[in-house]
Amino acid sequence: MLIVSLAIRDLFRDRFFLICNTAILVGVLVPLLLLFGVKNGVYTALLEEMLADPASLQIDTAGNTTFTEADVAPIRDWPGVAFVTPKVRSQFDYVNVRATEGRRLAAALMIPSGAGDPTLPAGVTLASDRLVVSSGLARQLNLSEGAPLQLITQAEDRPRQLVLEAQVAHVLPEQALSGRAVLAPFEVLDLIEAFYDAYSLPDHGIDGTKPLEQRVPRYGGVRVYAEHLEELAGLQARLEERLGVATLARTREVEGLLGLGRNLTLALGLTAALASVGLGAALGFAFWSDVARKKGVLASIALVGVPGRSLMLFPMVQAMITGLMGLVLSWMGYQLAGRIAQNLFGGGLPDGAALTLITPGQTMGIGVSVMALLLCVSAIAGWSVQRIDPATVLREVT
Amino acid sequence: MANMSLPCRSTCCPELTSAGLHMVDGRISLSGGGRRFEVHVPELQLDPGQALALTGASGSGKTLILEMLGLLRAPQDGTIYGVGNADLAALWQGGPRTPKLAEMRGRLFGFVPQSGGLLPFLTVRDNIALPQRVCGQPDPDWCASLIDRLGLGDQAGQYPASLSIGQRQRTAIARALSHRPRIVIADEPTSALDPASADQVLALFLETAAEQGAGVILSSHDLDRMDRHGIARRSLAVEAGPPVTSRLEAAPC
Repeated sequence: MLIVSLAIRDLFRDRFFLICNTAILVGVLVPLLLLFGVKNGVYTALLEEMLADPASLQIDTAGNTTFTEADVAPIRDWPGVAFVTPKVRSQFDYVNVRATEGRRLAAALMIPSGAGDPTLPAGVTLASDRLVVSSGLARQLNLSEGAPLQLITQAEDRPRQLVLEAQVAHVLPEQALSGRAVLAPFEVLDLIEAFYDAYSLPDHGIDGTKPLEQRVPRYGGVRVYAEHLEELAGLQARLEERLGVATLARTREVEGLLGLGRNLTLALGLTAALASVGLGAALGFAFWSDVARKKGVLASIALVGVPGRSLMLFPMVQAMITGLMGLVLSWMGYQLAGRIAQNLFGGGLPDGAALTLITPGQTMGIGVSVMALLLCVSAIAGWSVQRIDPATVLREVT
Repeated sequence: MANMSLPCRSTCCPELTSAGLHMVDGRISLSGGGRRFEVHVPELQLDPGQALALTGASGSGKTLILEMLGLLRAPQDGTIYGVGNADLAALWQGGPRTPKLAEMRGRLFGFVPQSGGLLPFLTVRDNIALPQRVCGQPDPDWCASLIDRLGLGDQAGQYPASLSIGQRQRTAIARALSHRPRIVIADEPTSALDPASADQVLALFLETAAEQGAGVILSSHDLDRMDRHGIARRSLAVEAGPPVTSRLEAAPC
């Protein structure tokens, strides 16, 4: 297209104005990108640190209560719920664990778990004979994935111990679960509770005082995981209302972090809006004054038969090229400043976390926004160009 | 395009042909500061290959007539104006910024402004080729021929800023002829040149235009030079107002 080619040739011949306008863009965009990147980077690092511990999403009923399956089942269908598991009474959730080939015993907390539990890594499935252990327990008993182990339970006045044979399905990373713990399907914990309650467990060679068939399932509590941090507070309130019990969750901590994120986004948004107004005004007037300065040249183009509606593209094409150059240079400036900032201030962040972070989607959004702003402000200059009288060339002698 | 059959209002010319440029009862009116100024062209005919000079005192409206002829200024209602069979007066009915008006201006006319009007970011060669690109009819051979004819071979790759005034005017002339327009409009094309250069440039201009059959209409104060080059003259006579009226005198028979 002729007018595009003319606009480009004029722009690069008049490099001084291209450099000035690009410098204005870079001067505004680099600090904004850096602020945005730092806000994203630090906030994302804090969020990831929080999400690395699945307990941040957990809501746990406090103390021992009694629930039935009818109380718990509807909760599984609530929106925002990732995983629900009943719990046994708290005094029955400790067992002794021993590596089958080893001699050492370690007391460990039994935690009911299953598919959907955010504590379980993706792809790891539990069964009554395939359990997941915490890194602390694995270290103490020298357990690794695939190792056989035994859960040993001893109750008062019971001549025999309950010994459950199982295999290590997975060893959790340190930050996922602290202390000595075993993740097992609820049925395993239910079996141990039945043993404590003196029921007979013929499959495990245990003679009790009551037949197992007489046992009515009762839950000592319930543990719920929210899908996202944003749903934690609402879910906790709803759970307490539904079950009529107090619950424990890291709601204050989570809400504090989320509130910080919202406030930073708001402050940055206001800063960006003000900067956009200033940038738009500066470049708008720059493009306008530029076409006023080139009125004679533009009139010469119109004189040879280029219609006004094509001529108005002249400053708009130049604005788009200026914008692209400004964006590329700003991105390079941001990357450089980000690396310097990472070296200077990145030490306080969790390992591997970036101080500055802008995702590809955000990059695309910023680019489109800047180009749209430039298109709008250059359209004003374009409007003035299409009104230039080509007769100016004959009338005004330069 | 509407076929035009123009009525003859001239007592001197018995018939206006439609082969070249023709205007009958062309009028422009300007007003400002409580004063009105009118320019009246009772009739004007320019045949292909013919050259005509508009003469008159400064402020007599020569440039206004060139603007009206070059589709740069709207004539008043009642003006009959055409080139060949094209009714150019009717083009203004859609307003001053229609693409059709710009397209016809670009296709039918070539312009040689007093200032040259060259684009500073294009080389001499690209400036000359510009009207061809606007019309969508690139013809590099013709451009090369014009460059050669007007003695611009050494400057073809240079930018206007590095040219002398004479070289700029020769470039402007080549540009005005490059798309083979029917009419070339030149506003005092040699006024910035020294006398020797002015004669040389004007001679080249007229020869080149005549070779391709383009009509040339120009404005000038230099009556002797017009006569030396055999250019027919039509002068503008200003009558006191109000309104002050500048009238193009009848063609000599």
